[in-house]
Amino acid sequence: MIGTVPAIERASGPVIAAVIGPLFVEFPFERAYVLDTISVSLYVSLLAVFFSTLFSLPVAMAVGFSEFPGKQFLVAVINTGMGFPSVVVGLLVLFAVSNQGPLGGLDLVFTKEAMVMSQFVLATPVITGVSIAAVTSVEEGVRDAAYAMGGTRLDIALATIKEARYGIVTGVLAGLGRAISEVGSVLIVGGNIEGSTRTLTTAIQLETRQGRFELALVLGAILVALVLLINGVVLRLGGGRI
Amino acid sequence: MSKQLRKQTDRLLTDGLAVSAVSHGFDGTDVLEEISLAVRQGETLAVIGPSGTGKTTLLRLLAIFDRPDAGTVQLQGEDLWTLSERERLHARRQIGMVFQEANLFGTTVRQNVSYGLRVRRRWRDRFRGWLPGIGSGNTSRAVRDALSVVGLADAADQQASSLSGGEAQRVALARTLAYDPDYLLLDEPTSDLDPRNTAVIEEAVDTTRAQGLGVVIATHDMHQAERVADRVAVMVDGKIIELGPAEHVFERPDDPRARQFIDGELVY
Repeated sequence: MIGTVPAIERASGPVIAAVIGPLFVEFPFERAYVLDTISVSLYVSLLAVFFSTLFSLPVAMAVGFSEFPGKQFLVAVINTGMGFPSVVVGLLVLFAVSNQGPLGGLDLVFTKEAMVMSQFVLATPVITGVSIAAVTSVEEGVRDAAYAMGGTRLDIALATIKEARYGIVTGVLAGLGRAISEVGSVLIVGGNIEGSTRTLTTAIQLETRQGRFELALVLGAILVALVLLINGVVLRLGGGRI
Repeated sequence: MSKQLRKQTDRLLTDGLAVSAVSHGFDGTDVLEEISLAVRQGETLAVIGPSGTGKTTLLRLLAIFDRPDAGTVQLQGEDLWTLSERERLHARRQIGMVFQEANLFGTTVRQNVSYGLRVRRRWRDRFRGWLPGIGSGNTSRAVRDALSVVGLADAADQQASSLSGGEAQRVALARTLAYDPDYLLLDEPTSDLDPRNTAVIEEAVDTTRAQGLGVVIATHDMHQAERVADRVAVMVDGKIIELGPAEHVFERPDDPRARQFIDGELVY
């Protein structure tokens, strides 16, 4: 690594070398280690966000379009959940999956599935809260139009989701951001086991504690690149309107 | 309402879209009081009256949006609120409504106009419709025909958001006509439009009425009512105070308040 950057600098100047230099870094670690960490991060976060979206959208529709006693309180609870301390979530999920907990029989301690559960709990208030705001911002006239044209309840819900799609996708991306950048809860419920439950964030935490700052920085760059890539793909699919 | 007019309405109740002695209100305030009214296929009924008199509420009851507090809403003599939800959906699909605002979806004109047709399909056919060139022939034809009626045949691929207010309202009418309802309800459809767009919509309404649709148009524009309506109902304070053939209502109304409203002297 030390020899590569000066070579680029000689060939293309210091500014370009500073920009493209990191691309030619000779990684001071096993390639498999990085790939494992990336795949665990993606597996856990994407699965958690997928389940969270499946759960959040109907809840957002139900809360957004109906009036019931305690609705404001429920919305306040959901919004509060967006800032819920992740270590507390991790602790609660650990209790739930531990031998004495209600899910103890499933033997989920220090597994990816337990990490999915904790990230689900963290991402859900974000996706639900933003989705409620998105669906309630759809004008009532649009729903009236869908009804007047003979839409069933499901048709009207789908038309509303379609109208609110940019807001909902923003919520899903925010939920993914919360999940993939999460350290505290996945450390508690996953145990940071190499090759099994070590994510990019817990690997960065470990490498930093052990003084391997270069490696931690590279893992950090990969994490940022992944988030940018996912946002870019969604932006592209959304026609640039997100 | 005179005895003669009530008798005329009652006769229509068996073969049209009708409300019979309906009362309705919101938050303890009565908006409609014992209204009876019917429209048959092939005629245009204009409901005129000052703003805030309950015209929109009446149309929403006819479109089966809301259940009246009292009275019945009937289609071909059938009390719609005694039907099952599935039967009511079937009845709803025979009625189209255009609102004061266009309320278009944030998609293309084609997708807006084809919406009513798509929701009438079985899910299997809807999925097939997503595949290019499969199962979309009838829909394309209906979309093209409906857009032609409102003079926007070339606008199918435009984004709805790029249309002017008048064009958007014409698309709103086209998407209702596309699924060929038996009854068309228009709630102040031209109140924000310029004369040209107003003329296009009135012409389209006339064409569809001639094809056998029953049309109810709520408007506070008496000249429009005079141009398009076969019969006119005058509403004041949630009640129908005059109902009859357009010439009769405009030239020799029985109720003095109807006369005042038509002469522009009933100020609210």
